[in-house]
Amino acid sequence: MTFYPEALQELIEEFQAVEDKRERLEMLFELADEVIELPQSQWTDATRVRGCQSEAHVRVEVADGRLQFLSAADARLVQGLMGILTIALDGLSPAQAVLIPPDFAEEMGLLNTLTPSRSNGFRNMYDKVMNEIRQGGVE
Amino acid sequence: MSVALRDQFPILQRKVNGYPLVYLDNAATTQKPQVVLDAMNDFYSKSNANVHRAVHTLAGEATEGYESCRAKLKQRFNAQRAIITSGTTEAINLVAHAWGRATLEKGDAVVLTEMEHHSDIVPWQMLAEERGIELRYVPVTPDFTLDMDAFAHSLDGAKLVCVVHTSNVLGVRNPLEDIIAQSHTAGAKVLVDAAQGVPHATVDFEAFGADFMAFSAHKMCGPTGIGALLVQPGVFETMKPFMGGGDMIETVTVQGSTYQPDEHKFEAGTPRIAEAIGWTAALEWMESFDLDAEHARLIDLAGWVAEELRALGITVYGRHGPEDAAVVSFLHPTLNSEDLAHLLDARGFAVRTGHHCAQPLLNRLGISGTVRASFYVYNTKEEAEGFVDEIKDIVEKFA
Repeated sequence: MTFYPEALQELIEEFQAVEDKRERLEMLFELADEVIELPQSQWTDATRVRGCQSEAHVRVEVADGRLQFLSAADARLVQGLMGILTIALDGLSPAQAVLIPPDFAEEMGLLNTLTPSRSNGFRNMYDKVMNEIRQGGVE
Repeated sequence: MSVALRDQFPILQRKVNGYPLVYLDNAATTQKPQVVLDAMNDFYSKSNANVHRAVHTLAGEATEGYESCRAKLKQRFNAQRAIITSGTTEAINLVAHAWGRATLEKGDAVVLTEMEHHSDIVPWQMLAEERGIELRYVPVTPDFTLDMDAFAHSLDGAKLVCVVHTSNVLGVRNPLEDIIAQSHTAGAKVLVDAAQGVPHATVDFEAFGADFMAFSAHKMCGPTGIGALLVQPGVFETMKPFMGGGDMIETVTVQGSTYQPDEHKFEAGTPRIAEAIGWTAALEWMESFDLDAEHARLIDLAGWVAEELRALGITVYGRHGPEDAAVVSFLHPTLNSEDLAHLLDARGFAVRTGHHCAQPLLNRLGISGTVRASFYVYNTKEEAEGFVDEIKDIVEKFA
């Protein structure tokens, strides 16, 4: 079973209403400001998203059954996708969070493929975040 | 460039994100003209069969098609031995296994350069680990050329020198004639990775004098999955087959096997028949225009783009001399490369970002990656101007 939280569904529709890819990228770049920033001083090998062309770091914290997703990236594109994930995960339990599929990035017309590869920072980031949620996050 | 040449590439008619495709990722792979697509389609439609065995008509046509590729390679590059491989990477690995394992012993030195593609580093690191071979790396100087003093000093006791013809990151063509002469004087064989070289200038392999030269079809308008290793006579006879199987044997008994005497002994298994036929078509097609004149046009174009980018405060890595390849690697001081590539893609421009499989070079340059625009024979001045205008627009809005 997969699902899109309401806030994410609204974002998908907003992106789908914009025909020009460049405009969609501009919208995405603005969403980079939505992340709960993981300060550079806390970037470690454990937070690094592997296979990204740029530096990208994530940390998932779970406290009292609530998620907190901290992230940051050199690329606005990657951090924008982190911003979308931040909005999507807000207020969700870990059990709900892992039901969000990665397809939203493609549905929003932001990525050409979701195939994991060394150039697909988003997919690597998504997989890392979901794995950390499944493992209960950082204590 | 004639309009007719560009029109022979059906893919260049397509639009990407609503804009005409401007394909500037040619150092990664080039597009294919209609004659190459037709040749491969014709083979599968009319002549598909396995090679070298059966006597039926189709088998004869397939064999003739496959072997015509070898004949064409020998003729174009003036080589006596042309082993058909899956590409440059396999060709280099073939040298490591077939020549290296037969020749190199513990304590022998192999000279590499920091400019090499990973494909010309990793096979030697693997062999070094297995055999206790010493690897020496020739540094790259701040002007993007090899440190030739360091090279000269690295030759003492070296058995092999591996050097890239033209850097896939910088487009810089190395002083190969000097490198080959010095290496031979020191008693070392020379392997040239010409993947980025031969698409821009043909090479007379015999006169060139390198012992091995590796390259791929797909960077010169041929299919993916096929390439070649040219080997000088004398050196060829010192290579031992490492991949066993069909097509490479003369006889097989339960006591043992004997091998084909020629290139076939290094081509075990059913080869890339359609790809060989496609490559022959591409090589013939490349004779339909003046490659030297095209190269001169492209390097002018690349040099112009480099200057325009520099004027925008962008750092360009490379020198764009007359013998270099039309590759423009660059970094904007604040704009992230990945973001830039996505913004360019939104307007139909295809460029590459990342480390380009040359991390030692990028480490030397103190960077982790670049944006790379690489031009080929179908690219036009208008496309280059459009590219520069698009970069200006992106820098203005996003930097």
